[in-house]
This record gives sequence, structure tokens and C-alpha cells, in this order.
Amino acid sequence: MAVPQLLNDIVNVLLLLAPSAALLCLVLAGISLRREGGGTSFVIGGGFTKWIFWAVVFLTLQPLLSWFSSFGVRVPLAGGGIASSWLSTFQASVGSFVTNFVVGRLATTLAAYFVLRAILDSAAGEYPLPSIFTAMFLLGVQTTDRVLQSYNSGTQYATADVLDSLWTYLAGTIMPVAAGLAIIGAIINVAMRRPALRLAAVALGLLSVTAVWKLVLAMVA
Amino acid sequence: MSFYNGILNLTNWSGNVILPTLAGLFIAIAIIQFSKGKEYVHAMYGGFMCLMASGLLRAFETFASQRAWNDPNLVWAALASLVDWICNVLLPIYAALQVAAGGLQLAGVTNRFQPISWMRHFAAAGLCLLVSGLLRLGEFFVTRGTGGVR
Repeated sequence: MAVPQLLNDIVNVLLLLAPSAALLCLVLAGISLRREGGGTSFVIGGGFTKWIFWAVVFLTLQPLLSWFSSFGVRVPLAGGGIASSWLSTFQASVGSFVTNFVVGRLATTLAAYFVLRAILDSAAGEYPLPSIFTAMFLLGVQTTDRVLQSYNSGTQYATADVLDSLWTYLAGTIMPVAAGLAIIGAIINVAMRRPALRLAAVALGLLSVTAVWKLVLAMVA
Repeated sequence: MSFYNGILNLTNWSGNVILPTLAGLFIAIAIIQFSKGKEYVHAMYGGFMCLMASGLLRAFETFASQRAWNDPNLVWAALASLVDWICNVLLPIYAALQVAAGGLQLAGVTNRFQPISWMRHFAAAGLCLLVSGLLRLGEFFVTRGTGGVR
């Protein structure tokens, strides 16, 4: 028995809205970053990692669904586009709302609030860096989305591939820069008579993340 | 706009614009602390280090690239390089400073500022230059100790 066209259209709408959902997840991940990990760190299994995971899942939804072909789920769906003009318009409107309003304007405004928060954090005797990082993450949501999309291998393992590539990007690109920040923090701590050795060790660790991973692998082998 | 550009530019700005500016402030704080007879060494060294942020980062990058990026021994090699650098590069320089400080103390130039014995300066200089020897001595005792008491 053929699947009703309306059902096909609804499924198509949901699949086509997945990239927009991923963008929303990234915005929520940015907010969680400041709330749970203090901004310079994140909790594994916490809000930030969960939202990032869901963003990756939404971006790789179609390849992921190919695991379930035995259940009768065929991806891409027959017919390709959305036959119903109303549903097609609905999908385009929601996509446009997320891209232009939520990410284009709202995330930028939120980032501006986090910059303000950074100054207020300093006034309260806290470090401004966490809020600055969050602001940067929110401003870079679209680029992060593009980076994640570029890691999508389109295979059944796309979700794991994207997560792997994201780890490599973090370890190989972001962390060496963060090591520079750790050195700067250590220098300021020396001048302010605060413990600095920990940050120096962190800098060394951030510069050799992959080696630490390989060391752990060698230990468990 | 990307997070990577943001954090990269933040690091560059902090290390190459803000820290050199703060260096002046820390040196000024060191001078004021010195004038009051309070602890000034941290502010002084902090001021100098602010001017050396890029160099320190390059040093750490050198330590962390002693082996291939995926070599499990890189962590150990990086730590060993750091220890080597501190013990064989920094401490001899510090020894020279201590000898100079001891000489000034002995000549009575600085003993009005700090009541540290000149002998402490010379002893510190000697110890700085003897780090490797002291370590080898300790290793020798432990090696002999593993043979049991005879």
C-alpha cells in the first residue's frame, strides 16, 4: 500500500526543518555553555554537550535514518520535495524565521547581552572570559553550523564522523589557541601573586591533547 | 564571524596589546611596593613576563612538539623538556643573578634594602648550578638503596 501523500509531505517537512533545528540547538548550546560550565569549560553530559549532540544529530538525520531501512523508513523519501504548497510555505517560513530572526538577530542581541554580562561579572569579582566566550560562540553559530555540515560524510556513520571531526577541530585548532590564553592567565597570576603553575600545566596539556589521547589509548591497549 | 576567529583575535589582542600595556602597570606597582618595603618580586617578574607572552607560548609550543603529534610519549617529552629548560637554562641565569646580588650585599650596597645574608645568595647560586648533580646524587643513593643494606 502506498504511503499517503500528506504523510510523505509531513515527513519531508520535518526532515527539511532538521537543519533549522540544528541551528536552534547551537544557539541553546551557547547559552548552556555560560550557565553550566562557567563558560571556559563544559560538563560532559550537561546542557552544552547535549545541545551540540542534538545539533549534530539533526544535521546528519537523513544518513542516520538509513540505519532503519529495515523498519520501512526510506531516506530520501520518495517524491523528494513537498507536494502541498501550504506545507512547503510553512517549511520555508520556519526555516527563514530561524535563519533570519533567531540566528541573524536574536543570537547577536544575546551575544551583546553576554558582553555586558562580562563587564558586570568583572564588577562582581568574577572573570569576564566565560561570558566573552559565550558571546563569541553565539556570534559564530552560523559558521559553526557550516563547519559541522562540512564534516558530514553522508554515510551511515555520519553522526559519529561529525563528532570525531569536531573533536579533532577542538584538539587541533581551538585548543592550541586556548593554550595561549592559559599562558596569559598564568602570567597575570604570577603578577597578582596567585597560583600560576596549574595554568602553565594546562597550557602544556592543551598543546598536546592528541598525544594525551594516544597515551590513554596506549594504556588501555 | 566564527568562534575560532574570535578566540584567536582575543588571544592576539590580550598577548600583544593588553599584556605589554599591563607590564608598565606591574612595574609601577613593583616600584611602589619596593618603596614601602613590601613584597615586589611577583609584580616585577609579572611585568617582565607580560612582555614575553609570545616568547613563553613559543617555548611551550617547542616543548610540546618534541615528538610527533600522535606519539604517546609526547606528554613525557614535553614535561622533560620543561624541566630541562628550567633546570639548565633558567636556573644558571638565576645563579648569575644571585651571585650579583650576593656581591652587592657583600659590598654593603643592598643590605639597607633587604636583610638577607650574602651567604644565602651565594648558597642559592651554588644550588642552582648543582641541580643536576644533586639529582644524580639522589638517584645514586636510591640505586644503592635498592641493593639493600650491606
